[in-house]
Amino acid sequence: MRFRLRFVIGTALVAGAIVYLITTAIRNTSEYYLTVNEVAARQGQLVGQPLRVAGRVRPGTIQWDPTTLTLKFAMVEIPDPNANPVVKQVSAADPASYSVTCTGEPKPDMLADNRDVIVEGKLDRSRHITATEVLTSCPSKYKPAQAK
Amino acid sequence: MPDLGRLALAIAFVLAIYSICANVFGARRSRPEFVASARHALWSMCAMVTIAVAALWTGLLSSDFSLEYVASYSSTTLPTAYKITALWGGQQGSLLLWTWLLTIFTSIAAFQSRRRNPEIAPYAMAVLAGVAIFFLGMLNFVTRPFDLLPVIPAQGTDLNPLLQNYWMAIHPPSLYTGYVSSTVPFAFGAAALITGKLDDGWIRSTRRWAIFSWFFLTLGNLFGARWAYEVLGWGGYWAWDPVENAAFMPWLVMTAYLHSVMIQERKDMLKVWNLALIGLAFSLTIFGTFITRSGVISSVHSFTQSGLGPYFLTFLAFIVTAYTGLLIFRARELRSPAEFESYLSREAAFLFNNLMLIGIAFAVFWGTIFPVLSEAVRGVKITVGPPFFNSVAGPLALGLIFLMGVGPLIAWRRTTTSNLVKSFAAPAILGVATGVVAAAAGLREWYVLTAISLAAFVFGTIIVEFRRGVSARRHMLAEPAPKALVNLVAKNNRRYGGYIIHVGVIVAFVGIVGSSFFKTEVKKSVREGQSFSIGAYQLRYLGLDEDDTAHMETATARVEVSRDGRVVAEMTPAKLFYKREQQPATRVAIRSTPVADLYIVLAGLEPNGNQATFEVFLTPLVFWLWAGGLLMALGTVVVMWPNVRERAAIASAVSRAAPIAISGEAAPGGE
Repeated sequence: MRFRLRFVIGTALVAGAIVYLITTAIRNTSEYYLTVNEVAARQGQLVGQPLRVAGRVRPGTIQWDPTTLTLKFAMVEIPDPNANPVVKQVSAADPASYSVTCTGEPKPDMLADNRDVIVEGKLDRSRHITATEVLTSCPSKYKPAQAK
Repeated sequence: MPDLGRLALAIAFVLAIYSICANVFGARRSRPEFVASARHALWSMCAMVTIAVAALWTGLLSSDFSLEYVASYSSTTLPTAYKITALWGGQQGSLLLWTWLLTIFTSIAAFQSRRRNPEIAPYAMAVLAGVAIFFLGMLNFVTRPFDLLPVIPAQGTDLNPLLQNYWMAIHPPSLYTGYVSSTVPFAFGAAALITGKLDDGWIRSTRRWAIFSWFFLTLGNLFGARWAYEVLGWGGYWAWDPVENAAFMPWLVMTAYLHSVMIQERKDMLKVWNLALIGLAFSLTIFGTFITRSGVISSVHSFTQSGLGPYFLTFLAFIVTAYTGLLIFRARELRSPAEFESYLSREAAFLFNNLMLIGIAFAVFWGTIFPVLSEAVRGVKITVGPPFFNSVAGPLALGLIFLMGVGPLIAWRRTTTSNLVKSFAAPAILGVATGVVAAAAGLREWYVLTAISLAAFVFGTIIVEFRRGVSARRHMLAEPAPKALVNLVAKNNRRYGGYIIHVGVIVAFVGIVGSSFFKTEVKKSVREGQSFSIGAYQLRYLGLDEDDTAHMETATARVEVSRDGRVVAEMTPAKLFYKREQQPATRVAIRSTPVADLYIVLAGLEPNGNQATFEVFLTPLVFWLWAGGLLMALGTVVVMWPNVRERAAIASAVSRAAPIAISGEAAPGGE
């Protein structure tokens, strides 16, 4: 019986260590996952924080310099597909827009005007994101099939 | 054909319902003729689903675009091989494949139970039929593979280019086989709970199923990683994406289960734990399907978001609730008389191995659903990426590797210090020596040093075990060493197959550590004739070849690879453009050696001139990940190999009324 107690304590210690490992890892590695408008709403508190931001490439803003591997573009909120088109027009009068700079990465194949992207990086000053990675999602008109 | 398929699925659904009723009625009233009838119904159900699969394959091969599924996932220009694999290219088809495998496995289990386990088998069959009802219900009422289009298109949308390759042809079926075959041990566990026949009969009857499931989960994960490595073109093989996690969690839990059942077979302990683990393993396969289909968790893999989420969630909630209820209901009967006696015992090593495995599985689960939880609780979506998973799984993996060395050598119940020294002195010295040599060679990361020391330690313990067995046979039976080795493995395949799996794990682990810590990457944009270097390699861009077919456009770069001024290879990474989808894709070039892989991606081509952008990775030791994986598979085959003595043990276990620990025969070794 005495050993049983010691055993329960040992097991609890290991389980506790695992939980501790998980909680500290979460604290150290988590990053916000926001949309462009959500970033705009919290602008002040987010500067310098690691972020993942989902948005849409604003047409005509893509600049790509292959010699320095520098990619620049601007991104805006992804319009809500269910929104009333009239209302959308009104609210789009002053859309939040962020310029993105990503250096040292090849240009993603799928990056094009009006494509949806996820940008990982830091908000360094007003309305500008220095990205470490730009991920493109598949265009919505093509429904990809995934078998897993 | 579509009508035939639809009809077959409807009949299969009815047969599944009938089979549940007949099984339960036959078992409760002791009417074997009803149980036999239910068995025939399960076989007919399997035949019906087979007809449906054949009907869908016929549609795909004949490009019958009146079928919505064929029009969405195939085209006339799609190569024939991929028309066949398009069966699991889309949601309805992959559910059909799942159901087909389920009915096949159910039929085999029904066949095996003809004369075995008369008390629990009918209930296990009823549980299997219940799971089949869910999937057949989905196929009949929710996501139908035989829906027709109002207007027949002239051409189909084609299969997603990322799925048009060899690995995607074999990865989903492997994973599904692993997922679905876990249903059989789950059903027997549930039946044991329902009937109250709680001895280890259900474990022994389904041990082979559990290993079979683990085998295919291992291969499925390995093929998935290989697919990511060869096709996605980012230089890695594992990104802790929710989809990968969904496949990894059942593997972890199944690994824990395979180890902990040995303690129950041997010591009659951990009954609740084993039943909980198999319930968890099965629930995680359903959970995996839920998260990948529901769109609740965003994944870099784009999925067809569909309305299936709520159905899977309801089914999952039902299973977890019902199963937990049964466990609580039987809790008193599941109490074990035996107890742990010492930390220095094999059962303690196995228990902590289980804690680590479940700990990793829990961390993976938590990290996967964290964005959803944080949004629900704090109103803001917070994600955790690969750094989270690595920082949790990394240390726990070290603990697991250590226990992997300890578990098989340490004695059951308790061990004396002198025994410990005797068993572990040589492997421990080997481990420390390896660490010292590595440190002297200039390695500084503590994780890498610990990892290779532990790997050497475990390898040492396995050598000790093989040596011990071989020399015993040589002395007692006067066999020459090679013959003794072969006989040792053949006569104790479960134990020594397990050791082979362990060697595979160690080798794969070394590959993972090497490729994670020492990968180098160069990104460069160059003109024709220009060179750049990575590691000891010089790469020169020679030029571009272009090709254009009805299916796709291809631009292939020729890259000359030299080392120490000598040309060693010409590699040809390519950019593809699939015309029907208007989708670009990449074809990486890999030069694999046991030391390092050279991995070249043609990342970009400038329209204005002869300039190309390359992304090049030099990944040490990644070769050993695949080699280790294959060794694990080989070891599993050895474990599964039919063994006469074990058959006898099963027969006696299932025919015996009271649970008595089995003697030394078919001794569960380290697995």
